[in-house]
Amino acid sequence: MARDTRPNGDVWVVVPVFNEQSVLEAVIGEILATFPNVVCVDDGSSDGSASAVAATGAHLVRHPVNLGQGAALQTGLTYARARAGAQYFVTFDADGQHRLEDAVRMLELARSGAADVVLGSRFLEHADTVPWLKRAVLRIAAAADPAARRLKLTDAHNGLRVLTRPVVDHLNIRMNRMAHASEIVSYLANSPWRVVEVPVSILYTEYSKAKGQSLVNGVNILFDLSIRQRG
Amino acid sequence: MIIQLVLLVAILGLLFIFVRNRHSVRMQAGKRIGLVLFALVNVYAVLRPDDITVVAHWVGVGRGTDLLLYALVVAFLLGMLNFYLRFKGVDAQFTELARTLAIREAEIVNTERGLLPGPDGVATAVAPTPPEPPATGR
Repeated sequence: MARDTRPNGDVWVVVPVFNEQSVLEAVIGEILATFPNVVCVDDGSSDGSASAVAATGAHLVRHPVNLGQGAALQTGLTYARARAGAQYFVTFDADGQHRLEDAVRMLELARSGAADVVLGSRFLEHADTVPWLKRAVLRIAAAADPAARRLKLTDAHNGLRVLTRPVVDHLNIRMNRMAHASEIVSYLANSPWRVVEVPVSILYTEYSKAKGQSLVNGVNILFDLSIRQRG
Repeated sequence: MIIQLVLLVAILGLLFIFVRNRHSVRMQAGKRIGLVLFALVNVYAVLRPDDITVVAHWVGVGRGTDLLLYALVVAFLLGMLNFYLRFKGVDAQFTELARTLAIREAEIVNTERGLLPGPDGVATAVAPTPPEPPATGR
């Protein structure tokens, strides 16, 4: 099959979607203007998210039932890595909290060959845009996670990432729910890939705040991870 | 007290064995033998409660029923853990199944939408065993 020859045709943007109908079209439209290949994984949304995606030029993959954000990411990556010519994979949240300029900058870094994995961090700069309680908890999470410490990460739970082909080939996210962010970090810490963090800013709109995961969910994440490490 | 030592060793030891080699045939058989033995001990305890009390005294517990209660707690925790691990295994299989289905369907739908060229390589959730990553440098 012919390779995609459009600019950024070797890039696939993976967007996990769960009940984001109201903002989807705008977010996808903005991504498509820069990256022609977008795959939205609808994780069993009950609103019109799937038809909102279908109305755009993005690829649509629908989970028959809700499996969780980690599962949606893995599905999107599995779909994207099967496409001919896919070399770079960007994970991007559907709620519009990430800035496309950040993704472009991160991609440039990956293309330069200086890194196999580029992670967005809210704390290298612009930390003041993060609500203080969230900032404290995320800081502690990054400091307490041995894998994040080993990689010297400042932000282990950012949804904006750029992964290169070999990294995605080996990646298999098994934490279906929210623990996947820590799982990815621990995979990276136990791999030879060169991981670089890049400062990004987050647009904490009322919408993304309402959609963001609650801090209480951290308890669930800790439980899942502690069992996994023994399993 | 002996009982504290016995219970702690029992819980920790079984926990360790449990998560180390689950799914093995011997483990499966071991769990079932344990279940049958536990049931038999309970039958015996109902028929001859005084004997159990004697055993309880050996290990430093007041009454036979208390000893049974402790044993029940251990059995309950292990049962819960067993179900949790089993459930997680089923959950992982279910995810693979749903993912494979979703991607198959998406490839048809997105081809119809004109986003994908005609049928070619099909993605599956089961990775085609990629080569091992080079040894970690860290």
